[in-house]
Amino acid sequence: MNMKLVGGAALGLATMLVLSSCGSSTPETGGGDTAAGGGQVTLKMVAADYGDGPGKPNSGQKFWEGVVKEFEAANPTIKVDVQVINWNDIDKQVATMIQNGQVPDILQTGDYSGFVADQLLYKVDEVLSPEVSGDMLQKFADYGKVDGTAYGIPFVSSARALFYNKELFSKAGIAEPPKTWDELKAAAKKLKDSGVSQPFGLPLGQEEAQAESFLWMLGNGGGYKDAGGKWAINSPQNVETFTYLKGMVAEGLTTPNPGTKDRKTVWEDFGAGKVGMVNGGPMSIPIFDAAGLKDYGVAPIPGKAGPLDTTLGVMDWIMAFNKNGHAAEIKKFFDFFYTGTAAQKISDTYKLLPVTNGGIEKLSGDEKLKPFLDGLPNASFYPFQDPKWADLNPAIKQTIGGAVTEDPAKVLGDLQKTAEAS
Amino acid sequence: MRRLRALEPLAWVGPAVLLIALVVIWPVIEMVRSSFLEISRVGVVRGYNGFDNYDKLFAEKDFADIMARSVIWVVAVVALTVLISLALAQLFNQRFPGRKLARWALIAPWAASVLMTAIVFRWMLDPEVGVINQIRLKLGLIDALGGADADQLGVAATAMPWLVFVAVFVSVPFTTYALLAGLATIPSDVYEAAKMDGASRLRTYWSITLPLLRPALTVAALINVMNVFNSFPIIWAMTHGQPGYSTATSTIFMFILKSSDIGESAAMSVVNFGMVLVITAVFLKISRWNRAVA
Repeated sequence: MNMKLVGGAALGLATMLVLSSCGSSTPETGGGDTAAGGGQVTLKMVAADYGDGPGKPNSGQKFWEGVVKEFEAANPTIKVDVQVINWNDIDKQVATMIQNGQVPDILQTGDYSGFVADQLLYKVDEVLSPEVSGDMLQKFADYGKVDGTAYGIPFVSSARALFYNKELFSKAGIAEPPKTWDELKAAAKKLKDSGVSQPFGLPLGQEEAQAESFLWMLGNGGGYKDAGGKWAINSPQNVETFTYLKGMVAEGLTTPNPGTKDRKTVWEDFGAGKVGMVNGGPMSIPIFDAAGLKDYGVAPIPGKAGPLDTTLGVMDWIMAFNKNGHAAEIKKFFDFFYTGTAAQKISDTYKLLPVTNGGIEKLSGDEKLKPFLDGLPNASFYPFQDPKWADLNPAIKQTIGGAVTEDPAKVLGDLQKTAEAS
Repeated sequence: MRRLRALEPLAWVGPAVLLIALVVIWPVIEMVRSSFLEISRVGVVRGYNGFDNYDKLFAEKDFADIMARSVIWVVAVVALTVLISLALAQLFNQRFPGRKLARWALIAPWAASVLMTAIVFRWMLDPEVGVINQIRLKLGLIDALGGADADQLGVAATAMPWLVFVAVFVSVPFTTYALLAGLATIPSDVYEAAKMDGASRLRTYWSITLPLLRPALTVAALINVMNVFNSFPIIWAMTHGQPGYSTATSTIFMFILKSSDIGESAAMSVVNFGMVLVITAVFLKISRWNRAVA
C-alpha cells in the first residue's frame, strides 16, 4: 500500500475537520461572554401571517426574517427561530405544541387570555421595559390584563368603518353614505334597482361572523354582554337587530345566504364592483387595491338611529411563555421590536394600526387610515377576557348566520345557552 | 439451534409489527386516552374527567343530525361511485380507438389534489363569477348572477348534492381502476362457455361478471367507505359545514370542536372510529367477502 497517499488523505481530512470546526465556532466566540453567560440562546417564536401566504412578497415569514436579521446583528448571542402560521391554523397548532411540551418562547396571535389560567405566560413587566409599556395606549394595555395583572402585550390593532363604492352610489342616485338603518335600506334598494347584485355585503360565514354581528349589535345599543357584564346575546336589542337584517336578506338587499360567506370573498366582490357597501377595516384596503377599485369612500358605520359613536376594535397580541426561562432574552427582543423600526414597518406593510402613542402620531398624516385612527380611542372589543368566549366564538362563527334566515330569537337563544353553560 | 430457527419468522415480521404498533395502534390508544382527559383550549392537560367529554358531545343539539348526515353521505357517495365505476370499468375494458387516452384522462381527477378539486368547484359555483352560473344564466335557468338563485352552495338542499358530486368525482378513478383490474382477472373461457350456452349479455353480466368481480368490488367499496367517512377537504373547502352545521359530517364537526374543546373533539374522533368499524363489519358481513365464489 502506498503509505504516502494514505498519509496525504489523512492530513487532508484532518485539515477539513479543523476548518469546519473553526467555521461553526465563529459566531459563538463573536458573542463575547460565551463561557460566562451560557452561550447562545435560541428563542423559538411562532407568529401569525398577516400577508398573502408563503412565497408572496408580503409573507409573514419574509417580514420576520428581516426583523430577526437586524435583531441578531445587534444581539449576536441570541438567535430567533420564527415559524409563521396562517390565521386559520395557528391556534390549533399552538395548542398541539403545548400539548406535546414544545412550548414556544414568544407567540404572536389573536388572543392571550387562554394561556393565563394555566400559568404559561410571563407577566408583561418581566419581559418589557417600562419605557415601552408606558408608551402603549392605556386602553389597549388594560385589555391585556387578567385580574389586574398584565400578560398580553398589544401588538397591532384595527378598527372598522363603512366602505362604499362611490361610482355605484352616483349611478343609483345616492348623494351620501347612509347614517341610519332606514337610510341604509333605502340606499340598498336604490342600488338594487340600478342593477347591483349585492347592495350590502354581509359576511356572516365562518371566517369572521363574530365581527360583522358585533358591528350590527352595536348599532342598536346591544352587544355580546350587557352593561353589567352578563351575557346578553339574545337581548331584545340584538333580536331586533337580526330581525332587521333578516328583512334585508329576504328582500335580496345583501349578499345571498350570508351565513355561508366569508369576509374575504365579500371584500373581493366589493373590490370587483359587485357590492355597494361593506364593513371593512384598514386591512381590506390592500384587497380593494389589488382588485383595482379606486373610487370608494369611508364613512362611520350606520346604526339604528344614527352613525355609531364606537366601532369594533380588534387587537392582536404578543406574549412570552415562561417554560424555557428566557425572560432576559425575550425582553431584549420585545424592546428591540417596539423601539426600532419593526413596529412601524408592520403597520406600513399590512395597513394595521399601531398600539403605541408614538406609532399613532406617526401615521396621523395618512388620509385613508384617518377614519380608523380616529375610531380607535373609543373602540369596543369582544369580551375575550371571559374564558367562556373561547368556547362561544367557534359556535358564533358557525351558527349566527342562521339568525338572518331562520328565527333570530331561537338562533341567538341557542348561543346564549352555550354562553351560559357551565 | 432449532429453537432459534423457530424464532426466525419473528425477525422478518417484527419490524412490520413494530411499525404497525407505532403508527396505527399507538395513535388509537392516544386518541381514546385524550377523549377521557380535560384539555384546556390552549393544549394544557388538566387530568382525567371520566365521561364528561362524551356527555357534552352527546348533548350537542346538532349531534344526532350530524351523525345521520354522515351515514347518508357515505351511503350516497359510495353507492353512486360504485355504480358509475362499474359502468366505466366495463366501457374501458372494451377495445376502442382512443382507449389509452380515455384511460389516462380518467386518472386526472385522481392525480389532482382533492383539496384543489374542491376549491376549483367552489370557484366554478361562485354566485358572482362562477362558470357554472354563467352557463346557467345563458341557458336561462337563473335570471341574474350574484343573487340567492345563483348561490347553490349557500343552502344545504342544493349544496349537499354538489358535495356528493365532487366526492363521487374524486372517488371514481380509483374505483374504476380497481374494478378494471378485477375484470382483467376473469378468464375469457368462462365467457366463451356462456356464449356456447346461449346466455344473453345481461345474463352473462349478472351471473358471470359480477360474481367473479366480487373480490375487487368488495375491496374497492370498502376502501371508499372508509375514505368517504373520513373525508374532510371537500366539505371544508366548499361550505365549512355551513349554513350552521347543515352540511357538516362527523369529521367536520370533530374539526370544529377542536377549536373550542380538544377533549370533546377526541371523543368525537372515538365515536367516528367506532362508526367506521361498525360500518365496515356490517359491510363485510353483507358482502360475505371471505367466502369463495360458488
